[in-house]
Amino acid sequence: MMDALSDDGSDVNQDDTQEDVMTPAELIAKLEEAWLNEKFSPELQENKSEVVECVMEQLSHMEENLQRVKKGDAKASIHRMEIDRIRFVLSSYLRSRLQKIEKFFPHILEREKSRGEGAPSLLSPEEFAFAKEYYANTETYLKAVALKRMPPNLQTVDMLKAVPEPCLDSFVFLRVKERQENILVEPEADDQREYVVDLEEGSQHLMRYRTIAPLVSSGAVQLI
Amino acid sequence: MAPKQQGGRVVTQQTRSLLNISVNILGIQLLSTSFGYKMDTLSYLPVQPGVGMEENFLSLDDILLSHERLPIRTECSFPRLGFLEKSSDTKDITEGTKMELPLWLSKGLYEKKRRVLSVELPKIYKEGWRTVFNADPNVVDLHKMGPYYYGLGSQMLHFDSPENPEIAQTLLQTFIGRFRRNMDSSQNAYNEDTSALVERLDCLEKALFTSGQSGLNSFQSWEKGQASQLTASSLVLNYRKRKINDLQP
Amino acid sequence: MDASEVEFLAEKETVTIIPNFSLDKIYLIGGDLGPFNPSLPVDVPVWLALNLKQRQKCRIVPPAWMDVEKLEEIRDLERKEDTFTPVPSPYYMELTKLLLNYASDNIPKADEIRTLVKDIWDTRIAKLRLSADSFISQLEAHAKLDNLTLMEINTIRTFLLDSLNCMYKLRSNLQPGSSKGQFKDF
Repeated sequence: MMDALSDDGSDVNQDDTQEDVMTPAELIAKLEEAWLNEKFSPELQENKSEVVECVMEQLSHMEENLQRVKKGDAKASIHRMEIDRIRFVLSSYLRSRLQKIEKFFPHILEREKSRGEGAPSLLSPEEFAFAKEYYANTETYLKAVALKRMPPNLQTVDMLKAVPEPCLDSFVFLRVKERQENILVEPEADDQREYVVDLEEGSQHLMRYRTIAPLVSSGAVQLI
Repeated sequence: MAPKQQGGRVVTQQTRSLLNISVNILGIQLLSTSFGYKMDTLSYLPVQPGVGMEENFLSLDDILLSHERLPIRTECSFPRLGFLEKSSDTKDITEGTKMELPLWLSKGLYEKKRRVLSVELPKIYKEGWRTVFNADPNVVDLHKMGPYYYGLGSQMLHFDSPENPEIAQTLLQTFIGRFRRNMDSSQNAYNEDTSALVERLDCLEKALFTSGQSGLNSFQSWEKGQASQLTASSLVLNYRKRKINDLQP
Repeated sequence: MDASEVEFLAEKETVTIIPNFSLDKIYLIGGDLGPFNPSLPVDVPVWLALNLKQRQKCRIVPPAWMDVEKLEEIRDLERKEDTFTPVPSPYYMELTKLLLNYASDNIPKADEIRTLVKDIWDTRIAKLRLSADSFISQLEAHAKLDNLTLMEINTIRTFLLDSLNCMYKLRSNLQPGSSKGQFKDF
């Protein structure tokens, strides 16, 4: 039993076939970053399928090991608590993505359509299937309860116009992880002028999402 | 005039209301993703009002807003539509008739180039009231005068008027002027009857008040340790209710 | 974000415990813990510390800042300054609540500490509202919020962000032509 649990740390590291080698602890930190960014950003972020898959792998690996442990083991209960915590973050992350997909589905699908060959997709394959199905179900449902009773020329609804777009001009709270210079702040009123700010490492700010959106996806700032 | 197109608009409006009702029911039926770890979240996110000049098609508030009545004056005659105007017995609605039309219809009929009708400003947006707002926005009962003061005001900008810039400015200043009081009342009123605090608020402000309250309540219940008590998801409760309903003939 | 999710993040902070049992090193996914030896202090995350405490397997050593004198200093400074002063921990509120609720017998003068932290919190929240109001009325586009903690931001987040959104839309009314198309046909 001892071996089952104690060789975990080293063993998993070698398993990691990702291009950049990440320790499991770094992986969990990545997941938490993605979780908070997804929670606070007005639009859907790029999918982090590799992170999600790696975390899942870690979890099932750990669970397998725990199966071999006899009941009432002190270490096992601590491992289980950790697994529960990670699983909570993971499902909260995935759930907040699904919520956004439900909220903005026509726009997200439209972006998928216009995505260039080879450009990374916003959605994981599963999320893409979900979005498509959600679209189809909503359409079928609206047709069944209302639209089919309308005059023929009014039986379609343009989902792209009917469902509001994410508002990129929303404000967000953020913490700076890598120093940024000369971030342009657009004026709020006509009598103001635009100006630039430097974002120092570790400082916290309240500003428009649009201004710093690229920094969120590059990981230079963390939404809080 | 293009009667066909306008006929279309009437039906479109009805479609919209119907669709919205459907979407709201859909929210209950889909139950898709949001259950499980439940924290004060709905299984369905209602569509928010558009607030500015754009309306959100599926927002309940915007649909209600589009039924607000505006005073108008017809600038041409509407043949054989006299039955719509209850105050006279004529067959046609003659040019120069003053009547009230809902916002959605006024917007549909209004054209800049061809004068079909002219829309009069509701008095709350006229200069007299604008002066009041500029003096002290906090004294006005926006529920009584609105309740879609900001929404309707923004929609009024669709109709050409030389006063439009001032209207837009007053809307913004009023919002800013009333912000502090709204924030304080929504962030301080814990566990008390809030009806007196919200009765003079515009619909938009009321929604903001509610979001302020939810932040306060979430913090307070956490502080008291209530958040750590698990409660059954509303979904599970509703499911039970539905089952009982199914049993009743 | 829900307050309990902020608490969840706070539970990752480390705290020193003095265990009354022995156990080898544990290799968790998020890092190694231990080894645990009776009477030897060891650092663990708060979630584990509270669990062990509840099972009476350890004593919790309160963080250095959780001390009446230090907190009084912080409170006085917070009241004196107009800006937000640095807090002893980014999760001071959450940790105070967690540790005082589950381990008050390990913390000297627990009640005084509770009151002091609450005073600091109240002073800071009042400042936060004041700055939110001036942010709105000055139509600011950017604010620096160093030293604000996640829990503090969280109490005002939805309200402030929703208000800013509404304001943004009312402000775009001022620029005619900015709205796309006059009427939309759906």
